[in-house]
Amino acid sequence: MNTETIQKTTKSFRFSFPTCTNEDVFFKLEVPVEIPYSGSPGELVQRVINMFHIPVYLEDELNEKLVEFIYEETTNFHNERDENLLNQLKNGELNVEKIVKNWEKLFKENVVEYAEQKGTSDEEVFAAAYHKLVHSPALETILQVENSYAKTVMTTLKNRDEDIKKLTERQTEEMEEKVRLLNTFTTEEEINELAAQHFEQQNLAAGRWGSQLDALCQAQRAHHRTWLMNTLDQYQTTAELDTPSNSPLATFSLERLALPAPRPRPEESFTIHLGSQLKQTHNVRIVAMDMMDLCTLQHDDPTEASRRLQTSLSLYSSELCACVLVGGGPRGGDTTKQLARAAAASTDHHFPHVDTQLQDIAEKVKEPVEQRNAQRIKELGQDPRRAKRDLQPGDVFITKHSNLADVHAVFHLVADDAALRSGDITSRHPAILGLRNILKAAASNDVASISIPLLLRHDLSEETTAAWCVRRAELVLKCVKGFVLEVGGVGGGGTAGSNSGSGGGGGGVHTIHFVLPSQAAPALFQSLAALLPAIFRISNPVKVKPQPV
Amino acid sequence: MREDNDDYKFAACTFFAKDHPGETCGSNGLPLTPSSVTIIGQAQRLLILKHPNLCTYLDIIRCKHERIIVVAEVIGKSLKETKSKFSFEEIVNIGLQIANALNFLHKLDITHRTLSDDNILIDSNGQVKLFNYGMNYMTKEGNEVAFPIGIPRYFSPETILSGGGPSADVWSFGIILLELCIGKLWQNLKPGPILRRILTLVHAGNAAERIARENDYYDIYKQVPDYLKNIIEKCLKIYPSERATFEELVSELSCLNTKTHVEIKRVRGLMGCDLHVLYHLWQLAGGDVQAELKKNCLIKNSPPILSMPIAILLDGCTIGGKTGALFDRRIAKYSLDLLKLRLSHISPHDFYPLMHEKRKVYDAVTLPKIIRERDTEYQFYRLLWFQRLLKGYPHTAAYIRAEAEVDIPPLLRGDVWAALLGVCGDIESQYERIDKETPTPTDKQIDVDIPRCHQYCLLLCGEAGHRALKRLLKAWLLTNPQYVYWQGLDSLTAPFLFLNFCNEARAFACLQAFVPKFLHNFFLKDNSSVIKEYLAKFWQMAAFHEPELATHLHEINFVPELFAIPWFLTMFSHVFPLHKILHLWDALLVEGPSLPLFMGVGILRQLRDTLLSSGFNECILLSSDLPEIDIGECVKESINMCRSSPRSISYRRYTNEPAVKEPADDVVIPMETLFSEICPRISLSDFFSLVCQDKCCVIDIRSNLLYEKSCIEGSINVPYSGVQLGQHELRALGLRPQRVISEAVKQKKTVVVASAEDETAQLCEFFLGGFSLLASRRRSTSRPDMEGYFDNDLKDVFEADIDPVSRPCLIDIRYRLQVMSSYLTLGMIKMLFPLPREIAR
Repeated sequence: MNTETIQKTTKSFRFSFPTCTNEDVFFKLEVPVEIPYSGSPGELVQRVINMFHIPVYLEDELNEKLVEFIYEETTNFHNERDENLLNQLKNGELNVEKIVKNWEKLFKENVVEYAEQKGTSDEEVFAAAYHKLVHSPALETILQVENSYAKTVMTTLKNRDEDIKKLTERQTEEMEEKVRLLNTFTTEEEINELAAQHFEQQNLAAGRWGSQLDALCQAQRAHHRTWLMNTLDQYQTTAELDTPSNSPLATFSLERLALPAPRPRPEESFTIHLGSQLKQTHNVRIVAMDMMDLCTLQHDDPTEASRRLQTSLSLYSSELCACVLVGGGPRGGDTTKQLARAAAASTDHHFPHVDTQLQDIAEKVKEPVEQRNAQRIKELGQDPRRAKRDLQPGDVFITKHSNLADVHAVFHLVADDAALRSGDITSRHPAILGLRNILKAAASNDVASISIPLLLRHDLSEETTAAWCVRRAELVLKCVKGFVLEVGGVGGGGTAGSNSGSGGGGGGVHTIHFVLPSQAAPALFQSLAALLPAIFRISNPVKVKPQPV
Repeated sequence: MREDNDDYKFAACTFFAKDHPGETCGSNGLPLTPSSVTIIGQAQRLLILKHPNLCTYLDIIRCKHERIIVVAEVIGKSLKETKSKFSFEEIVNIGLQIANALNFLHKLDITHRTLSDDNILIDSNGQVKLFNYGMNYMTKEGNEVAFPIGIPRYFSPETILSGGGPSADVWSFGIILLELCIGKLWQNLKPGPILRRILTLVHAGNAAERIARENDYYDIYKQVPDYLKNIIEKCLKIYPSERATFEELVSELSCLNTKTHVEIKRVRGLMGCDLHVLYHLWQLAGGDVQAELKKNCLIKNSPPILSMPIAILLDGCTIGGKTGALFDRRIAKYSLDLLKLRLSHISPHDFYPLMHEKRKVYDAVTLPKIIRERDTEYQFYRLLWFQRLLKGYPHTAAYIRAEAEVDIPPLLRGDVWAALLGVCGDIESQYERIDKETPTPTDKQIDVDIPRCHQYCLLLCGEAGHRALKRLLKAWLLTNPQYVYWQGLDSLTAPFLFLNFCNEARAFACLQAFVPKFLHNFFLKDNSSVIKEYLAKFWQMAAFHEPELATHLHEINFVPELFAIPWFLTMFSHVFPLHKILHLWDALLVEGPSLPLFMGVGILRQLRDTLLSSGFNECILLSSDLPEIDIGECVKESINMCRSSPRSISYRRYTNEPAVKEPADDVVIPMETLFSEICPRISLSDFFSLVCQDKCCVIDIRSNLLYEKSCIEGSINVPYSGVQLGQHELRALGLRPQRVISEAVKQKKTVVVASAEDETAQLCEFFLGGFSLLASRRRSTSRPDMEGYFDNDLKDVFEADIDPVSRPCLIDIRYRLQVMSSYLTLGMIKMLFPLPREIAR
């Protein structure tokens, strides 16, 4: 809060004592002492005695003098500085208004007593209500309602697609017809006109459907909210008592809970211990699948309900799930678009529409990014023509979702595609550093489970030879290990150990999934899976030995 | 009113430490210490402050998301809550008590800075205590938190201008007195206008008068007696240099003070216990600091998904997301009812245990240590008893040792350890004499090692911890010039620093006493022979107690030099986390210097199954990163092993213990012989006690001629030359040896192999010194002067194995002993000891 850090000054401590032989001749010594002195004066005295070979009988006197000297000099130091300030104030040399405004702002923004009275925000109220309800017998109903909403959206989407498809077909026919007759009955101009007309029609249709979908989502959202709040009221008045004992799962019929048919995807899990003395346990898993599988839901598939169940239960808990997508900025990039499509497949009842979120991010990062980029250009002499306001490789933006299959938050890691796709990278590569930031943010925001693309790309190509994959995977695994250790320690969000036995507990990222592209060959998967136990230390299970009788 | 005071003994307040913005690496390339850790480190000093006018700090807790919770004593009500007006007499008395407290703080270089009417507490007896006076100190002048500390009303003009030293407290004190005299100031004003008004005071001649006028209290102010006005005006001088100091204020106020303090009878029983003890027990009884804060809405958990940032730039700069919770000055008070209820059945006598009274035995003693440490009632008795014993230290040293053998209450571990290590005398001034500042060549290495030493520990990973550890290491190196800094010394020091965080001198004294006792000469520049001997001894102990395992490790050539040096050089402090080291060392300090050898064996024993099934490479990997070890079990077993082994078999030459005087106790052998031997040697006296207790079976491997001439009574003769190396059956030794050995095995006897030293030379070809000798001139059962019967030319030493605990081991011992001697064939061993482990089991 003190804008200027305490400045120190050095004062000389002078001490003299008569020599043994001649009372009039004095030994004089001068010791520079930093004011305010942070150490112990007693120790300084001992050092002085040793350094100058001062007779021990002077110890007490020296001690007394030095303590006095430090006290006086410290007081003077404070007083002089304050006197200066006060004089400046008296003479009107200080900008009183600015100082007071600054304090006012500090108090207003940080201390409850002086802050503007703010009620709990709308989203927090809704969050609390939802969290309570999903942990009640109402869970099943909620999921059903959400599912039916999702189905409606899906039907609408299907209709839209069909409609647009039809339109396109018709237009194509028309166009073909026209083209066939080109130079006989029609002119190029007419064709151009038709094309423009078609374009307009397409736009119109898209716009119409868009607004219809928008309206649908809005309506669903509003409806869902009112319904939820009403349910909560009802629930609280009628069934207040039976929540805790009634596990939400108990109300679920078995059929419904039946796990989705296991899709054949290779995966392997390990429990690992990290840390040299105090060990933290984590789970790591390697799996070959499409990252989008974590996001996409099949709403008409009843077996998908269990996935939704898990995600809904933990949405407002402190055990979030997240995944990392490597791609472009908020305004482009294939992965972002894919995600946006998955997120738009049903109404998000909790967070803004994914497009809105992306827009918001693009808008809000502008200023800080511009500042940062300007600085970079200045420092590194980079090409100033590079997009000034866009996120750069290594930057991360985050979207939140309540309607995806397995994740609540998505970390979008902006990456420099060409270099990342094929070239070898080092641990100082922006993508790796971005990964570090992601893990850090994950730890401090209670993300308990995170999925990371092991190769930092979502597909395979010709360049990605097995050797390349192993090299890349090794780098990523090693770096992630380091980052997890870093954020798991006291420096991270978690609290480890405690001196009084009342630590905050938990914290840190518990489970890390390393995701390989789904098209990875079994042999490749095997060789990469073998890296895990080599790089991480696999915990030895505690073996219970029978006591010899 | 009294009830009211008793009800709440302590209170907590909470706040968030500041987040580090942007790049989070320090100049040394390591991540910056989070502010919360700095605060914890800084606040430790507050925990030990004791003054009648200060509320004792009880705990500083760090929670998730950089939250700090401060727990401290409370009494009565704050001045803010007190509605009644005080008489001028009372005001003087209150003022005196506050001034006393602040004087005490200023002497310790602690500036309060946040003095206000809500942190001055007063109880019905007129006792005044300051609450949470360390905010400024623990947050380093507010630098580690985002919010401004203090209340604008009590800010001195220079504080507003970002200045202010200790004398800012004098100003605040003046304002407090003024408020007490005339009433609350600047009510209903926002911070801005208040600050502006305070700043305009610089133009006033008499600030107090001006303030009174401003608040329409001038009439009341005029009625304030002159002596009080005088004091207030002395405090409210604009220039700090003109203000009175608390020393002056205390003396002036005590002259004016007419109210003598009512002598309150000391509270007896539970409430008379030390507050730290009460808090500790309250926590054990289930007291939850966070729960009460949550109930009072001081901890609000907003769902984390809502506070997620929207973007993170490459340099770590976070955009959007959490706005950070506001600082709430309110406190949550805790009642002790829970604890009172828990301990209600304890009779008043038990609060004052007598030294020579017979101690009750508590059922809990049989439970594992970790559970005992969490048992409220058990800890209650232990704490009271230990406190009593510690008061009598050093006179009670023997009692303390005896009690520490059972267990040590965690709250008093620092004190008990110091007592066990015999720390006494003026350690503070001794420590003060050591120069810990002057740079030395080892500083560089120390600086590298400290940020890697037990950094998961909140105390050791902060700046305060690093500084203290460095000072301790430097002090130790300077005091012990014969030693050098070996990596690992930092880990060794860490437990002592952890337990004596605010008492460096004691941490140093403990270290100073610990090293010669347990690690004599380990830190010599050339410590190779010391370490070699230690490891050889460790290997022998492993062979003695875990023969099968030792054999396996021998076979794969996984020797202790590869893994055990850090174990012993740091007494395991480099290997385990602190909470395990504490338990390990609890036993170490009581049992003495030979225990570590057996602890090493205990660890191997826990890893036994894994090691037995691993090859060399796996073993190396395993030892480089040990899996979880059950320390309670390890300690228990190692103590058992230690106590059941004859003392002489763990004899080491390089110790600090007095040299052996009795020739019968002597087991000194040349180092080369020691390194080549797999089985430890036993001294004559230990051997005799074994013989007398009929706990051993002696195999004499001298030639039958010598055996005929003289031998130990009851020994059997298996002349070495007669042993058929190819045979696997015990029976090949002959009928009698077979019977005797199997019998001995059944009775868990120790097998002692005796041989004549002069034969050793011949046998070397086969044994390479594997056996040593026992020779006696003639059969004798008379013990009185045993030495007389032994030929002095022959070194009277035995090689022996013992394990009365488990019979199977005995078999293993011999079996393994032979196997481990790589020069013996498997056939030979099998022949000598055919019983496989499974049968014995």
